[in-house]
Amino acid sequence: MASLSSAQYRSYSSNSFRQSSSNGQRHNHRLLSFCSPIPRRSPPVVLCLQQSQGNSRPNVVLMQDGAVATPVNLAQKKEETVKKLEDGLLSSSGISTEELKEAAGFDVNENESSVSITVVGASGDLAKKKIFPALFALYYEGCLPKHFTVFGYARSKMTDAELRNMVSKTLTCRIDQRENCGEKIDQFLKRCFYHSGQYDSQEHFAALDKKLKEHEGGRESNRLFYLSIPPNIFIDAVKCASSSASAASGWTRVIVEKPFGRDSESSAALTKALKQYLTEDQIFRIDHYLGKELVENLSVLRFSNLIFEPLWSRQYIRNVQLIFSEDFGTEGRGGYFDNYGIIRDIMQNHLLQILALFAMETPVSLDAEDIRNEKVKVLRSMRTLRLEDVVIGQYKSHTRGGVTHPGYTDDKTVPKDSVTPTFAAAALFIDNPRWDGVPFLMKAGKALHSKGAEIRVQFRHVPGNLYNRNIGTDLDQATNELVIRVQPDEAIYLKINNKVPGLGMRLDRSNLNLLYSTRYSKEIPDAYERLLLDAIEGERRLFIRSDELDAAWSLFTPVLKELEEKRTIPEYYPYGSRGPVGAHYLAARYKVRWGDLGIEQ
Amino acid sequence: MTFTTHFSHCSTSCKDNSKLFSSSSRSSPAIHHRFSGSRRLCRFRINSANGNPLEALPLLPISESAADYDYDDNVETGDSHSTLSITVVGASGDLAKKKIFPALFALYYEDWLPQNFRVFGYARTKMTDEELRNMISRTLTCRVDKREDCEQKMNHFLGRCFYQAGQYSSEEHFAELDTKLKEKEGGKSSNRLFYLSIPPNIFVDVVRCASLRASSATGWTRVIVEKPFGRDSESSAELTKCLKQYLTEEQIFRIDHYLGKELVENLSVLRFSNRVFEPLWSRDYIRNVQLIFSEDFGTEGRGGYFDNYGIIRDIMQNHLLQILTLFAMETPVSLDAEDIRNEKVKVLRSMKTLQLEDVTLGQYKGFSKGGKLYPGYTDDPTVPKDSITPTFAAAALFINNARWDGVPFLMKAGKALHTKRAEIRVQFRHVPGNLYKRNFGTDLDKATNELVLRVQPDEAIYLKINNKVPGLGMRLDRSDLNLLYKARYPREIPDAYERLLLDAIEGERRLFIRSDELDAAWALFSPMLKELEEKRIVPELYPYGSRGPVGAHYLAAKHDVRWGDLSGDDS
Repeated sequence: MASLSSAQYRSYSSNSFRQSSSNGQRHNHRLLSFCSPIPRRSPPVVLCLQQSQGNSRPNVVLMQDGAVATPVNLAQKKEETVKKLEDGLLSSSGISTEELKEAAGFDVNENESSVSITVVGASGDLAKKKIFPALFALYYEGCLPKHFTVFGYARSKMTDAELRNMVSKTLTCRIDQRENCGEKIDQFLKRCFYHSGQYDSQEHFAALDKKLKEHEGGRESNRLFYLSIPPNIFIDAVKCASSSASAASGWTRVIVEKPFGRDSESSAALTKALKQYLTEDQIFRIDHYLGKELVENLSVLRFSNLIFEPLWSRQYIRNVQLIFSEDFGTEGRGGYFDNYGIIRDIMQNHLLQILALFAMETPVSLDAEDIRNEKVKVLRSMRTLRLEDVVIGQYKSHTRGGVTHPGYTDDKTVPKDSVTPTFAAAALFIDNPRWDGVPFLMKAGKALHSKGAEIRVQFRHVPGNLYNRNIGTDLDQATNELVIRVQPDEAIYLKINNKVPGLGMRLDRSNLNLLYSTRYSKEIPDAYERLLLDAIEGERRLFIRSDELDAAWSLFTPVLKELEEKRTIPEYYPYGSRGPVGAHYLAARYKVRWGDLGIEQ
Repeated sequence: MTFTTHFSHCSTSCKDNSKLFSSSSRSSPAIHHRFSGSRRLCRFRINSANGNPLEALPLLPISESAADYDYDDNVETGDSHSTLSITVVGASGDLAKKKIFPALFALYYEDWLPQNFRVFGYARTKMTDEELRNMISRTLTCRVDKREDCEQKMNHFLGRCFYQAGQYSSEEHFAELDTKLKEKEGGKSSNRLFYLSIPPNIFVDVVRCASLRASSATGWTRVIVEKPFGRDSESSAELTKCLKQYLTEEQIFRIDHYLGKELVENLSVLRFSNRVFEPLWSRDYIRNVQLIFSEDFGTEGRGGYFDNYGIIRDIMQNHLLQILTLFAMETPVSLDAEDIRNEKVKVLRSMKTLQLEDVTLGQYKGFSKGGKLYPGYTDDPTVPKDSITPTFAAAALFINNARWDGVPFLMKAGKALHTKRAEIRVQFRHVPGNLYKRNFGTDLDKATNELVLRVQPDEAIYLKINNKVPGLGMRLDRSDLNLLYKARYPREIPDAYERLLLDAIEGERRLFIRSDELDAAWALFSPMLKELEEKRIVPELYPYGSRGPVGAHYLAAKHDVRWGDLSGDDS
């Protein structure tokens, strides 16, 4: 289970930024301090094998995350019997044999470091549905360091066995690699432990620290905390974790999920509070959209294809559309949502992040800081969003085929008079030389007719087109369009004008396309896998830096305030519809036509 | 005539024939419509300017809508006096049987032909009309997707086919043909198209006889000629001169059937109607262009004609060069034939004359594979044992103009290779200062974008792009953005001959080769061809069914090019 090497191999083909990720951390003394000059070889692992075939440069120096695990000395205070039982399991079947087997493949170094991943809020929905499965997938593919442990932390009383039970229910094996799955699940579960405690109790975190230390067995320890908890207890948990459960010898990193505040002020306050206990390098603000395969691919497409590079500017691009839609509503879980609304929930973070990646100038390198610098530049070049450039909507109930779909305010967890938008469309502009005048349209909504997330790039019409007569009066209806479908059914396609085969001269828009499912049979990893792995490796490229967050909020905060002060009533649209027509008028104002609602779509 | 009754109802044709079928060099409005134009109009069957039944079906040649009938009615009520007679000279030949008659039938089946048309076969063989019909019927097939009424349509079509036996150099015999034509035309204004499907040595005789004795008195007369148009600058010029004694430039339709291929037609559409391609179309972005033709069989006992010409004359100097000019030309003022041909000629005239050192020759030799023996070229009984005629050639050409200076245009054509295909490959430059350079290995040019237009078989367009392999690492991959015609357009694609015959009937010259174009094309190849023959350069032998002589790789390497079709990552 070639932990470190997996990290290493992962970096092989991507060493430019992998290496840089360690460069990026030069100011992180803690991190550098533990770097161990462990001789690393290349044990072939599923993923790693695949990675290493490429044009990999064989000698990547990975200066981080040397991970060690040990046969664990467990002496739990609670539930001793269970523990002992499991000790036995761990040392007999769990670790010794398995690890010995692996050890045959490569160096065993007793001084390797360990990684402990603590999921704070382990009994929550996200943890169950995403975090544990992602950790297991990483383990399954040999991407986790050799010596890792997973801790669940939450308020509920639970035994390790109960946690394992809970976790095991959501673990699935990759379709294409079912081999040994059961066995792998068992092995993984044995590395999962539970600690119950209050989120604001230093003592409880100190107790966790003790447990963690036991598992680390004196090795250099690296600790990752994943805060899967409501925003109001972020700070408490960070405070306790940082002061009572930080790693003594290795790094301590904290992954936080949105919401990062609800406007500039609250976000700044949150950042300030976090920074009381953590340095910037320790904070990993996750935006899981950045972990999506096609968002990752966006930069590759753009920067490694000559055919796209010259087109990437106002000279050729007429508009860019960022579209997100869900085909379901809040479905009884509107409590959190109602306090935030779709703009904060989707636009200000996910769509804006994609926009920044799309529009940024070429970074100096693929290092996290270089990329994030460019993203911040885009955000800072953007015009603050104005109320008239926003259209909001809220879904109402709709009966179709005898089934009544409830409206947003029919949700019991939502106030009856809520004006929170469940749909929004916005026009944004980047006032820099590359994008001046190009509308970037965003659209996000719940309870729409389809489910998807995509980026659409509409090109200008051909000047002086010889085939104008074949196109009709609206030349803009026959322009090229590049579509990057982020989900579902990942795909890239380019709409081109083409002659319909036959004796006449009829033009047609057809697609040059790449459907991932036909080209790549392997399942595409979940965004959380990538992001967790990046956090473990200290790769910050896909996480949001504080100044980025500030800049993002400053674009949206004034309009959000105004909406709330004026209690602007959203335009209602039926559940399952294409959203409020207002979105079309907004687009029309900027001479744009939504690409996803065209006839040919 | 037994069939006259059959035709009696076909009393109509185009309202405006004189205009449509006039032999003016510019396209008539009607022509312009079918070609560049207003599919939109046609969608509603608006019978504009010409009232040409050809117009009736341009949008959806499978006509089912009531609108079509309305339209036909319109035409019926209009007066129509002209007739069209298509005479296939060399009717018993192979091309006529395999391509021309079937193409005419397909046009008829899809209602592209004017109502009053007749097909005449002319050859030396004695044959009755019935025998000709018999012969033709064996090669007619109905489109896979439209078998309906096929039998009936076939019978109608055959009923319009007639035969006249005669010598190719006999004015008398052509006069007889004329009499027969007149008889069928029934005094109506007549347009006549001659398709010369005969050996080159009798071209001029036939043209003389047809022109003097069987020209239309009232409508136009056009002559389609097939390659070879000479074998070098001089003989080609001589041929043109002779043809022009009897025909005007507007009457000569030099056919290059590659220009009738769907994807070659689409080349201009792709380029000029897509903003994403237009800015890329120059030396700034394009590293090289490859024009590749390969056949997976040899001469197979029919090398007599070929041996006299060789692959360069047979494929390169015409088909591949024509595609090259279409690819490389500047934007024409309009889609009119003369505008396009002017631009093509400009490309040819900007090209550097081909040098001997920029050519590699090959000839296939016998090869036995899996117990089966494939004969070499000189094993063909119709080929001289000591023949050094190339069956394979690769060449590097250059266009010394502002757009293409320094960009190698590589051509490759061969027989008896491992695959059968024709394609255009456009290799782009590498990304300057590529951020992902390290993922590519040392040769950046191996991971560049490439646009491939596969002309045949399995028409397709695809664009190779660099793409991240899904997964946790950062591995790049070249994958294809593609458009496979079969998947998108399930209907059968018309044969090149259908398009070209129809164009000739309509007087659309865009896809035919003008005399000055032909001269310019020969001027590029003649010196090198002469040198080859004078020096008796021996071709590199390659096994039947192989990938051709390795010399082609060295030629490419000399110009920093790598053949896209043999790179391993492509099928």
